[in-house]
Amino acid sequence: MLNYEEELKKFKPSLEVEDIEDAVYQEDLTDMSDLLKQVMDQKK
Amino acid sequence: MDYTKKIIRQSNYWYNDGLKKARIRDMSGAIVSLRRSLQYNKGNITARNLLGLVYYGRGEVVEALVEWIISKNLRPKNNLANSYLQNIQHSARGLETINQSIKRFNQCLVYCRQNGEDMAIIQLKKITVSHPSFLKAYQLLALLYLHTRQYAQAQQALTKARKLDTTNEITLRYMQELTQIRGKKAKKPENKATKKKKKRKKETVEYNLGNETIIQPAHRMVKELAGRFTLMNIVLGAAIGAAIVWFLIVPAVDESKSDKRNKEVLEYSERINSLEAQLSAVTRTLDSYRADSADSEEAVQTAAATAESYENLMTASEQYNSGSYSEDSIADVLLAVNRNALGESGQERYDDLTSSIYPTACSILYESGTASYNVANYDTAIEVLAKVVRMDESYDDGGALLTLGLACLDNGDPETATTYLSRVNELFPDTDNAQEAKTSLEEIASAANQDTEE
Repeated sequence: MLNYEEELKKFKPSLEVEDIEDAVYQEDLTDMSDLLKQVMDQKK
Repeated sequence: MDYTKKIIRQSNYWYNDGLKKARIRDMSGAIVSLRRSLQYNKGNITARNLLGLVYYGRGEVVEALVEWIISKNLRPKNNLANSYLQNIQHSARGLETINQSIKRFNQCLVYCRQNGEDMAIIQLKKITVSHPSFLKAYQLLALLYLHTRQYAQAQQALTKARKLDTTNEITLRYMQELTQIRGKKAKKPENKATKKKKKRKKETVEYNLGNETIIQPAHRMVKELAGRFTLMNIVLGAAIGAAIVWFLIVPAVDESKSDKRNKEVLEYSERINSLEAQLSAVTRTLDSYRADSADSEEAVQTAAATAESYENLMTASEQYNSGSYSEDSIADVLLAVNRNALGESGQERYDDLTSSIYPTACSILYESGTASYNVANYDTAIEVLAKVVRMDESYDDGGALLTLGLACLDNGDPETATTYLSRVNELFPDTDNAQEAKTSLEEIASAANQDTEE
């Protein structure tokens, strides 16, 4: 049986057009290459 | 092996996986795979562009724009993201509409948290119209319908949501919930009403006949009678229809026909009357013409008679003046004269001649006529004695009349005889001639009675 309140909480507000700039800046663009570089830099 | 190549290979692998899922509208799965692809290689522009496209397909336009902007920044040229962004920028109104839909969606979440489910449902319906690819709106709407027990509407919303994203966890969970709810309804214990409804006669009837158990289908009276009832209804309907026609329509038709006939009869009567009037007028005209012609003819005849009378008078006068004549021949000429057709002088001359001729002529002819009677020459007697009577009815104190009557009687003409004999009685009553006339008249009467009795 669904819990209405719990299910409702799962719904997050959608991004609006005005939020695009912030969303772009907040996007985490770290990928595997970056992680490997970090690991190699730490080893050094 | 070069780790870079391995990383790129992995990124491409997940991109391919994401692409497969995107093709079958498994948007949630595609997003996971493409994100993984980008985790291996953030520079996988194709994966990023596809990710943006998948977001766009689920109605999350802003998320799509974020990915495409990042993609454009990573590769400014020869990038499909440029065309996507230009496309969206060109339809500014469409973007504004989508933006408003997103704002309303966010507002609906606030309504839901404030127990304003009805308001939220109304807004979400509008959102699904203005932004029909917005998956989250359908899902939230389905949740609200489930919460308010509007299961049919929930089913509709979930069906549309599933078309947008076939493997979305939320959509599938809600559908399962709906299935469970409907299953529970179907399994509800029977209440009295349901039991009563379900109470039916068995479809089969069992009974024992001797050692045998006989099972036969239940006799369904209703089904059998249904056919008969149908037929009866048809017959009844036809009878009612026929009655309606007979009692309502036929009299009206007859009345109209009789009206028409009456009008025709009236018209013909009027025509007949007018024709009769015309005929009457024509007949009157014809009669007047005939009368006129009769008068004319009479006038002509009178004129002819006058002329003839004068001629005869002149002939008689000439014969008389000649000195060589016989009285009976001049008497014949004078008898042909119509005294009334003559003028005054003619009548004087006529009277002179007749007074001179007639006495002698009567004597001659009376003697001849009597002689003919005595020898039974009745035709000659009648002819001669008729002249005598015309000249002088009283000749011989009715002797001429008497002899003439007897001649007619003996000649087989009792009617003419009666006339002459009666005239004798009238002119010379109490005379021998009258007595003889009476006797003859009695004989005629008795003869007539005998004929009647026979």
